[in-house]
Amino acid sequence: MLNSVMPIEVIEWGHFAAVMALLLAAVQSLTAAWGGWYQQVVWVDVSRRAVWAVWLLLSVAMASLVVAFLQHDFSVRYVAEHSSRALPLFYLATALWGGHEGSLLLWAWLLALFAALAVWRHGSLRSPTLPLPSLAALLAILGAVVVGFLLLILFLSSPFQRLWPPPTDGRDLNPLLQDPGMVFHPPFLYLGYVGFAVPYALAMATLLTGRLYDDWVVTCRRWILFAWAMLTTGIVFGAYWAYYELGWGGYWAWDPVENASFMPWLTSTALLHSMMVQQRRHIFRTWNLFLIITTFALALLGTFLVRSGVLSSVHAFATDPGRGVYLLVFMAVVLLGSFGILTLRSDRLQATVRLPSMVCRESTFLFNNLFFVAAAATVLLGTLYPLAIETLSDSKVSVGAPYFNKVFVPIMLAVLLLMGLGPSIPWRHASLAQLRRYFLIPALVAIGVVPLIWWGLAIHNGYGVIAAAIVLFVVMSHGGDIMRAYWRSTDRQFMRLVLRNKRRYGGLLTHFGLLILVSGLVGSGLFKQERDLVMRPGDTTHIGAWQLTFEAIGQRSQHNWQADEGRFSAQRSGGGASVTLQPQKRIYQRSPQPTTEAAIYSSWREDLYLVLGDPAGDDGAWTIRIYLNPLVVWIWWGAGVMILGVGLSLLDQPRQRLVEN
Amino acid sequence: MTPAARNRLLVLATVLVVGGALLALVLTSFTDNLVYFQTPTEILASAQRFDGRKVRIGGMVRNGSLVRTAATTEMRFVVTDDRANITVYHRGLPPSLFREGQGVIVEGVWRAGAAEFIADTILAKHSEDYVPVEMSEQGIAKSRESLLKTLR
Repeated sequence: MLNSVMPIEVIEWGHFAAVMALLLAAVQSLTAAWGGWYQQVVWVDVSRRAVWAVWLLLSVAMASLVVAFLQHDFSVRYVAEHSSRALPLFYLATALWGGHEGSLLLWAWLLALFAALAVWRHGSLRSPTLPLPSLAALLAILGAVVVGFLLLILFLSSPFQRLWPPPTDGRDLNPLLQDPGMVFHPPFLYLGYVGFAVPYALAMATLLTGRLYDDWVVTCRRWILFAWAMLTTGIVFGAYWAYYELGWGGYWAWDPVENASFMPWLTSTALLHSMMVQQRRHIFRTWNLFLIITTFALALLGTFLVRSGVLSSVHAFATDPGRGVYLLVFMAVVLLGSFGILTLRSDRLQATVRLPSMVCRESTFLFNNLFFVAAAATVLLGTLYPLAIETLSDSKVSVGAPYFNKVFVPIMLAVLLLMGLGPSIPWRHASLAQLRRYFLIPALVAIGVVPLIWWGLAIHNGYGVIAAAIVLFVVMSHGGDIMRAYWRSTDRQFMRLVLRNKRRYGGLLTHFGLLILVSGLVGSGLFKQERDLVMRPGDTTHIGAWQLTFEAIGQRSQHNWQADEGRFSAQRSGGGASVTLQPQKRIYQRSPQPTTEAAIYSSWREDLYLVLGDPAGDDGAWTIRIYLNPLVVWIWWGAGVMILGVGLSLLDQPRQRLVEN
Repeated sequence: MTPAARNRLLVLATVLVVGGALLALVLTSFTDNLVYFQTPTEILASAQRFDGRKVRIGGMVRNGSLVRTAATTEMRFVVTDDRANITVYHRGLPPSLFREGQGVIVEGVWRAGAAEFIADTILAKHSEDYVPVEMSEQGIAKSRESLLKTLR
């Protein structure tokens, strides 16, 4: 056999470790189930220790693959397919998640890590927050999910497969992935996806053991916040990467794979809000369980859509029906199992309190949830419908971006409006006097600016004006809320006020971040300019306030690519910025396909975005595409502020027990 | 009717009205924005049916068919599935992956009987596991085959 002549490399140790991890994860799951069912602490204790062993073994497996990449061990098929000798060290170490086999291993490793962290945080055998049966159920469920992923990795999509004889050089990492944005996009996305596994398992543990229907939201609060922050970061990194690397001037295309990451974001955002209501008012119990199950299932669906290859886009690298079927069955088990149990237990979940009135904070959260879930359903329909049509009939359809924009924009505007009301409106019942005090001035100002923008600034764009008015309304109502709290406080120390209530002000800061982000979306979505043209060296053109001159075209090369590079000088009128832009058209040595490197000048006002096309004639003329995208950087900065807000919120110490009403 | 019951009814009614409005919004914009994907053979076979509709046509850019009009961004090329051909006109920059012999998807409004298909968007499809330079000859032939299959 070939194996007899193959030297035993580090990778084999990793492979062996992964197999052992599979066995131990099965042990973890089964001992926990046994110990939980028969109330035997010793078995649960075995399971607790197995969790750590699984994580250590998977770490060995990950490390062996990294070593294989660093050593250019092309006898490992995955290494040969995703790196080359010329690949820079930075990308070599991160090529691990450049393809699906490695990314799935990263998924499993993160899951094992989070299981271990969950045991460390909540897993003491006499924990006040997590009684033995719940802990056992948590361990059993997380173990089962790890087993599910490791089966897939070892039998259908192994990164440990060997090639013999090894090729002399690898195929290199897809050039599009050789970008810092791509290095960070997948790990953050996966931290988000996998982060929902622990809250999911805790929620299921709640259902299985049939107790503490309100406690899981308290225990899970930080897990969910953390996962949500990671998912947000991952999505924004993906958008950022698309904007800088793909060279089509946009950051979001409603591509099925983008949608796949967006759906769990929408449902988890709904959950973040509605779990507050459950904690305070003990309602929305079944609903929150539904949301966490849905979120985790959508996270699995995201992995499934990207990694099974059923979708063809930049993200999907290969088609393998076996893998797709496995993931589909896996999802079916999770969905049917979870919702089955939820249905069986729903009689016990009856809330003791009813929605008290129509105008109160509870109802703003109810509608917030309605809109978020409707948005998720909208995206799901647009994403899965083409797949369904393709499976059921022979024709192939796609759902255009106009569908998503048309449905999504009004929903999001409604959500923004609710966002202005939610944090200030009182629980249980709001009186007319309170409403007038909190919202009259913001509403009047917001309505007042509409004609100002329409006629004053001559911006005749319905959605743009409405969005601006709503953003202003939210800023004013949030600002008013903070001002009132400040004047009410005895010490009049703003920082102390914030630190006294980190959860609340973290939340408000996240809202402000979202407003900045939305401003960026509105600006770049509605007011962008785009021009395709042919230019010769020496030619000058105008776009917006910019004057652009094509100076020269030349060549440039680096270790693994060479490029045509244009030099343009751009001058903003009225004594504004004066910059040089150098867009490239690159050919990587080991890839036949050229890539464009857009040249971008960013400022708070707008991005000037330049793409080099193809030669157009013999006289040095080139086709050029110019975009002028207003307010794009607001998107990145807004996302940053959102994450800061979550960070502030996370600093708050978890409350061990519920505040009884 | 007690105040609590009336209140519940009010909430329920609002949820239903808002939910219904959302559903209507989804359904009306959904059917308008479905884009049917066709090969040149298919679309020529039912040319009348798609008249005036937005379609995506997928195939290969036929070798030697690409003509750029000098000093403009206008271009013409033939999209083929080896049985039927469609001449495509496009104005603007194609994506960087676009070139002769590669898979392409062109999107635009189909006019039955028009001499050329005016594409407002071009999507180049790069063969999924892109081929290393060495194995180009047979590799490209094979990936072309699989590409045509996945394009279907």
